Amino acid sequence: MMYPFATLPENLAAFCEALRRRHGFHIGPGELHDAARALDVVDLASERAVRNALRPILGGTLDDVRVFDTAFTQFFFPDPAALRRDETIATRREPAADAGGDIDAERARHTPPSTADADEASALGGGPMTPIASTGDQSKEAALVATSSYSPLEAETSDAPELPRIDQGWRDAARLFVRRLHLGLSRRWSPGSRGRRFDFRRTLRAGLQTGGEMLSPRWLRRPRRAPRIVLLVDGSRSMSAYARTTLTIAVALASATMRLEVFTFSTGLQRATNDVRRAAAGEQRRLDRLNHAWAGGTTIGACLRDFLKRFGERMVGRDTVVMIASDGLDVGVPDLLRDAMRELHRRSAAVVWLNPLLETEGYEPTAVGMSAARPFISTFTSITDRAGLARMSRLVRLRS
Amino acid sequence: MTDAAAIHDRFRERGFIVDEAFATALQIMLALEKPLLIEGPAGVGKTESAKVLAEVLATELIRLQCYEGLDAMAALYEWNYPRQMLHARLSETDGSSLDEREAYMFSERFLLKRPLLDAITRDRSPVLLIDEVDRADEAFEAFLLEVLAEWQVTIPELGTIRAQHKPHVILTSNRTRELSDALRRRCLFVWLPYPALDVEIEILHARVPGLSDRLAQQIARLMQVLRGLPLQKAPGVAESLDWALALMSLHRDHLDAATLEQTLGCVLKVHEDRGVMHAHHAELAPILGHVPDTLESGGYSLDTDFGFGSVSAPRR
Repeated sequence: MMYPFATLPENLAAFCEALRRRHGFHIGPGELHDAARALDVVDLASERAVRNALRPILGGTLDDVRVFDTAFTQFFFPDPAALRRDETIATRREPAADAGGDIDAERARHTPPSTADADEASALGGGPMTPIASTGDQSKEAALVATSSYSPLEAETSDAPELPRIDQGWRDAARLFVRRLHLGLSRRWSPGSRGRRFDFRRTLRAGLQTGGEMLSPRWLRRPRRAPRIVLLVDGSRSMSAYARTTLTIAVALASATMRLEVFTFSTGLQRATNDVRRAAAGEQRRLDRLNHAWAGGTTIGACLRDFLKRFGERMVGRDTVVMIASDGLDVGVPDLLRDAMRELHRRSAAVVWLNPLLETEGYEPTAVGMSAARPFISTFTSITDRAGLARMSRLVRLRS
Repeated sequence: MTDAAAIHDRFRERGFIVDEAFATALQIMLALEKPLLIEGPAGVGKTESAKVLAEVLATELIRLQCYEGLDAMAALYEWNYPRQMLHARLSETDGSSLDEREAYMFSERFLLKRPLLDAITRDRSPVLLIDEVDRADEAFEAFLLEVLAEWQVTIPELGTIRAQHKPHVILTSNRTRELSDALRRRCLFVWLPYPALDVEIEILHARVPGLSDRLAQQIARLMQVLRGLPLQKAPGVAESLDWALALMSLHRDHLDAATLEQTLGCVLKVHEDRGVMHAHHAELAPILGHVPDTLESGGYSLDTDFGFGSVSAPRR
């Protein structure tokens, strides 16, 4: 074993730092402390025991766990042979794990090209946008990282779109839109001045003030269910004229609700939620690391399938309004799109399709992709300005 | 119970096979006294692992099943209102002061302990299973954070109750919703995948005694293939075990296409998935070996294929 530092705590701290900086792990002093305590418990001579002990502490999500082993090897065994071995492990495991936890290589073979390859590049220490560490201690490591960071997609990321700033009007329109999405009542009970259920606890407490006589009854009511919104933005070249409006809608919605997820797709899918949220908070932000998810052709069906497989379980439910902003000019297989749309429709509260071509006079949604998707769309419309967004809330039909 | 190997053995005695990574996670969880968050596809034994842990530690299991609308009162405590009312009425004339009566009415006598409060007031650390935490809503998750971090509960009428013995906490999630980062940071995290082929065979043997080796092999191999198909609801280990039991009760010693068709309800729970399976028939066919009719259940020759499940016995 080759350690970058002499003592165990230093190595551990450096490893955590590497995970944090390079792989976006959420590691604070608390986790570091736990990790140090865990190493007291396990057999330090066994590399596997150390690995197994640190993994549950430092990793918080499935994505973390997937990257962890590669990062561990890369940090503690930075010789090329070890790296190569791990690389093959990574390529075998990562896309499989992507399939929503159904760890099986078989299944991965059926998946469309996803961003897993990009994840992998970053797992190996640097996608195109990851800063490469070049401090003295880690120069050897950095050299290795540099060799593995080549990506044929690099050219495509240069025209990454900038997220627009929004004004108060957009913000109000988005807030109105979210507020008007009525999903019915939640299963929860919360205190209210009027309600359907008698609140024993609060009534009894209030009764103490009136000498044990319960003069003022208190009630429980069911609050409204808060909607969840998933916005899928078509970033293909044919949509470029409309991209700014779509991204404006995304940022506006992010300013109105925290329960929003944003994805961009073109021939691949990319989650953009964090960027959009930060833009909504007033930061100037560019969508980066888009790879296949911007300015390419469109395979809507494959991208939606990919979305369902990787995020569907967690993000699409009875409270979810799925919004797809696309012109529907699909070059993929229509059956794939039809199946994905059927599943989206089945699992969500509503599927809204925003098609800018509807603004064009004489447009009929007869393209192969559009006609495959049509039966599963609850609301088919377009938005060009903020009044349109506010107006749309009246058009969305929700299944209760 | 100090090292992973011991945990593995103790779990194994109770018919639960844990891999090394999971055993180490359990070891760390016990040593660090931190909650363990287990995620994974449905039916891989997340809930079961908590039950077995309680058995292994010879302590009690307290289970909090989460559901939409679960609130702090249902999870923590509730006052026994009818009893309080009754007491208030009956003690009206006994001459005690209002303060005395109030203090008595809000004493532990009238407190109904729900799982979380129950777990922190035990004399020994119990195993607290917070099952399917993703089904509860965000508000409950925030409340849970407070309990998991401080191990104390404040009841306005009684004061703060602090845990004498921290419970061993296991949270499970099926990922129907994204859990907050804050909750994740409070917990150790383990991803429990579907077991590998040999592990699944081991599980089948451990849980279904008397299962022939050939049948175990066939079930496990079919499951591996099925989980690779684009099914809406992939079968878990729970399904494998159900299936094995079903086949045992039907006195089958091997799987063929007809038996598969008859017992498919144990494995595939969504109608569309049958269509998917039939479309991939070619992948399943090699596993469904053809066995001559003369060899009936319990026949020794079925168990002597030395692990080659698809080799058919010689015709007599």
